[in-house]
Amino acid sequence: MNALEVKELTKVYPEFTLDKISFCVPQGHIVGLIGRNGAGKSTTIKGILRLIAAEGDVSVFGKNMGEDEMAVKQMIGYVGGGFRYYPRNTLSAIRKAYAPFYPTWEQGKYERLLAQFKLSERKKVKELSEGMKVKFALALALSHGAKLLIMDEPTSGLDPLSREEFCDIVLQLVREDGVSVLFSTHITSDLMRIADDIVYISQGKLLAACPLKELLGKYRLARFSSLKDATTAKAIGVKAVKEGYEGLLLCDMQVATSAAATDATIDNIIVHLEKANEEGICAEFD
Amino acid sequence: MLNLIKKEIALCMHPTAFIFLFFAVLVFVPNYPYEVIFFFSCLSVFFCCMMTRENGDIAFSCALPVKKEYIPLAKMLVVFGLQGIILLLVGIIGAVKGAVLPAEQYVNQAGISANLALVGNGAVLLGVFNLIFFPRYFKSPDKIGVPFVIGAVAVFLLISIFIVLRWTTPLYSVALNGLNSENIGAKAAALTMGIVIYIILSAISCKLSMRHFQRIDV
Repeated sequence: MNALEVKELTKVYPEFTLDKISFCVPQGHIVGLIGRNGAGKSTTIKGILRLIAAEGDVSVFGKNMGEDEMAVKQMIGYVGGGFRYYPRNTLSAIRKAYAPFYPTWEQGKYERLLAQFKLSERKKVKELSEGMKVKFALALALSHGAKLLIMDEPTSGLDPLSREEFCDIVLQLVREDGVSVLFSTHITSDLMRIADDIVYISQGKLLAACPLKELLGKYRLARFSSLKDATTAKAIGVKAVKEGYEGLLLCDMQVATSAAATDATIDNIIVHLEKANEEGICAEFD
Repeated sequence: MLNLIKKEIALCMHPTAFIFLFFAVLVFVPNYPYEVIFFFSCLSVFFCCMMTRENGDIAFSCALPVKKEYIPLAKMLVVFGLQGIILLLVGIIGAVKGAVLPAEQYVNQAGISANLALVGNGAVLLGVFNLIFFPRYFKSPDKIGVPFVIGAVAVFLLISIFIVLRWTTPLYSVALNGLNSENIGAKAAALTMGIVIYIILSAISCKLSMRHFQRIDV
């Protein structure tokens, strides 16, 4: 059974449309939601959580969000980019207000997590570092037995060491507690470390939803000495770089002798697919 | 719902929501338009909404396992509770004033005396504020200023009308004025009517607010 299934999630704003996004988060998997700023990552997450009025179906462990929203939300732990709420309140006051909403709240687990994360309940939210805020949000989300964690850019604003620590915690949760995770980010090094699958959104449209290895294995990064060579090789998203031109090639395509091809990273894939996407849109306008 | 109300009280109440309740003692101030006391209650609602915004409370609440329409309802029920307390306090402290001060000091040159009719007037003021403020606020909870200004202008217009009535109509200057023991029937009727109007206006306000809040994107 999938932990999360999203079918044709659509939200229309005057200047932006999230267009029929469909993907799933298999149970026990970590899925990275990627895309450039404004691509629709946060809108997708808000649509899943019904924070915005979006069309489409969302089901968590087989339960439909539209039909049984309260039961579904009991199974979800939401971490919205750290903890930006109630800056002047103590963690204790927030926990006391938060815990009664969850009949499955485990105070012992919460206290263990606080000890593990070295958090004091006497502190106010504004006294926490960005990393500590993320940990507090995680502690709240996990203490009510959430089986699906949905996180919106949780590692933004964290230093590399804190990001590393965060990734370790998430990996531990998946391995030991069987939690499934969907998290949006534009820090692709985090994904390389922990993600099993990738959902790639560009300009409100789904460009890819597949295992990370499949995405990485699909493209190679090729460098060309001239634009003509790149065009002849049918390279994707060609752009000028310091020495020549760079573009993606599908793995099964022949690489010309004049080109040098290496393994593509997620960053390479995003940059060149975005470029190709923009050019496609420009061509339509032309 | 009870959990949402507890969360509201624990995390979203501005100190003025409780401090302004003590302003009920202003009924001891001689020659003062006592209806203004109820405006302070409206002002505390404004501060609480500011606190809600600064705390990101709406987004936090929407992620909780609760029905979305219950979020405005819980906020409004807390406000109704506070409004009920200020009405009760004004009534009680007004009665105490009537009991301890000489009758001539009970006469108010700036409006009606601190009696049951004043509580009825206060209920109407608060009901009108609820009807104007909350449905507008819950259409867009980030914008608090405009709904509050519109509500406050309406409240002060009504206060002015009550003061004019005090000096121009026998009903307000005689029947509804003075000690509770004088013309008790008229004052009790004014109080009852005020409370009924408050309940009707607040119930409409709840319905509209819940409907508007369902449509907003957090």
